[in-house]
Amino acid sequence: MEAYRQEIILAAVALYMVFCVVTGLWAMRRTTSSSDFFVAGRGLGPIVVSLALFSSTLSGFGFVGGPGLVYSIGVSSFWMITISAAGYALGFFMVSKRIRMIADLRNCISLPDVLAARYGSELVRLLVAVTIVLGVMGYLATQILAMAVVMQAILSGTAMFADIGLVACVAISSTVLIFYCVTGGIIASVYTDVVQGGIMMVAGILILLTAMSVFDGGITEATSVILKDDSEAMMPWGSAGIMASLGWFFVFGLGLAGQPHLVTKMMMNRNIADNRHIFPLSVLGYILAALLWVSIGIIMRATVIDGLIPPLDAPDDAASVFLTLFASPLLAGVVFAGLFAAIMSTSDAFLNIGTAALIHDIPKALRGKAVNNELFWARVVTVLLAIVAALFALYSYYADATLVALLGAFGWATFAASLFPVVALGLNWKGATVPGAVAAIVSALIINFGVQLAGIALPYGVSGGLLSFVVSLFLFLSISLITKPPVLESDIDRVMDI
Amino acid sequence: MGRQLIYVIFALCAAMTLTLLLILVAEPVAGAGGVAHLVFEGMRIGGDGSARLESIGSLAYGFQALLLVLIVALATLGISERHRTTRLRAYMLATLIFSLFIFWRMVANHLQFLATGETEYFMGFPTATAWAVYGVWLGSAPLIILYVAGFRQFIYTEEDEAAFNQLLAETTAANQTEDKN
Repeated sequence: MEAYRQEIILAAVALYMVFCVVTGLWAMRRTTSSSDFFVAGRGLGPIVVSLALFSSTLSGFGFVGGPGLVYSIGVSSFWMITISAAGYALGFFMVSKRIRMIADLRNCISLPDVLAARYGSELVRLLVAVTIVLGVMGYLATQILAMAVVMQAILSGTAMFADIGLVACVAISSTVLIFYCVTGGIIASVYTDVVQGGIMMVAGILILLTAMSVFDGGITEATSVILKDDSEAMMPWGSAGIMASLGWFFVFGLGLAGQPHLVTKMMMNRNIADNRHIFPLSVLGYILAALLWVSIGIIMRATVIDGLIPPLDAPDDAASVFLTLFASPLLAGVVFAGLFAAIMSTSDAFLNIGTAALIHDIPKALRGKAVNNELFWARVVTVLLAIVAALFALYSYYADATLVALLGAFGWATFAASLFPVVALGLNWKGATVPGAVAAIVSALIINFGVQLAGIALPYGVSGGLLSFVVSLFLFLSISLITKPPVLESDIDRVMDI
Repeated sequence: MGRQLIYVIFALCAAMTLTLLLILVAEPVAGAGGVAHLVFEGMRIGGDGSARLESIGSLAYGFQALLLVLIVALATLGISERHRTTRLRAYMLATLIFSLFIFWRMVANHLQFLATGETEYFMGFPTATAWAVYGVWLGSAPLIILYVAGFRQFIYTEEDEAAFNQLLAETTAANQTEDKN
């Protein structure tokens, strides 16, 4: 079997991509309106929503960047994942119930739709929609690039595709992504997410078992090897230190409730009462999938320090080198399919919310109504958005990485800082005002972009994301408290009392 | 704790903003955010843990403690004011104490390691790190239990569901009338 390693991996990935295409065709028959396309007609069951929710949370970053971070800075990055349960808790306690209620009452198909209804403000809708579009471009470009780089690595290991270029890999992977997103909209996305989530959970468990067998003394021996080399790397704050760790703790703990691609999924369930099942299932799925992040990172750092393997060329090679050296070809196939699954599940969620912002929210904010024939334009804009993101990814790879790096940084932390106060506090506090919301969004954008553009390195590893999040929360609350409380529309007022 | 909760949350956020500013202006320690490994390119090391905490240790611990309080306060805000009974408040307080206990054990074990250089291991990790890895996850367990087991009592009661269904029916009827006109 070892002789066919590359072919087995290729077959697993190809099988997964065929599944995505078939799901797209199946979902096309169920997509008859823009509500179906964007929020699955609000008719999904609890298992589908929970798997879709957690698989969209853990993008390709969790499979590639996560183990790389542990290899590079030890325990510090654990804080991103250990706080996930609290992050989901805040999402469910603060957002899931009322976002679903407002979506039902006002027939909302996007997060900006819900927030425009909550605040009675088209300005809030516009700012949130523009924030989403900017974030989507960065996220999509980096995800498409990651997908293409991994595909090139897999294909170039076979005799037939040894010389395949990155452009061809971008084209192949984007075509599959576009196909199932355009044909089946969010219905195809969530049903592929179900399989994606399943693969990710299985991969997490199997990788942990494999990692435990690398050292005779299991994970304990691996961590003691790291501890002897640099004790701080294996202590709670890791090599990056206490403030970098707390920054992730803060941004990932509170920030989940501000991620538009995740909270939009909270609008899609059939019954609000299903949330009590969706919440624990999502947390369980995330924890199982995150085992891969922790175990690969620990084993790769320990094996390099112990001299068992040569140092990696780059920290992000941790997962692929681990799979090559320690995993059976079948497991490697499952994990590589899981990696594509993770990237695609995040990408399709972003394509969906980006399209909604462009054809529904921005036109509504600017001219009072969405485009005519929304379903047709949703499909057209999904294709265009994916093509622009793919070209953007290629441009950044071959010509200038600055712009995509800038927008890539415009990721989780910026969404968290700009949208958490507006969404999570706004849905639970009648006193939240439009000026407060505007100040939170604008300050978060300015601080995040400012720190990134000016290349400012804050002391003690404090990140721009943490600073912007704290400032935006403070501004949102203080400005809302000193401005005149809004008069809410009757249905929104009643929802806020439930 | 009813309408005052938002003021508690505001006070927490103000305290966290202030703490962060104090950390940013504290005397910098070289390599506080880690330095490159001397042998392995791509790896970073933390070096002297005590030195890294010297200027900002207390402030950083304070920041984390405030964050744990904020998480519980925000979860409480997510529960309708009508359902914030004494029993619920007691449960949330116990949840907070549980989180703070885990945090204290993690910090205490880390400081003990910095002082002695000795550590036990628990399920694969040095004790302090085990508190961070398993403890932080477990710290959210009371919130998950409350949401699942107390869903019909605190989160979305039968009365809440009936009230929402009535509101939905009224809105649908009003929309239909508007469409006819």
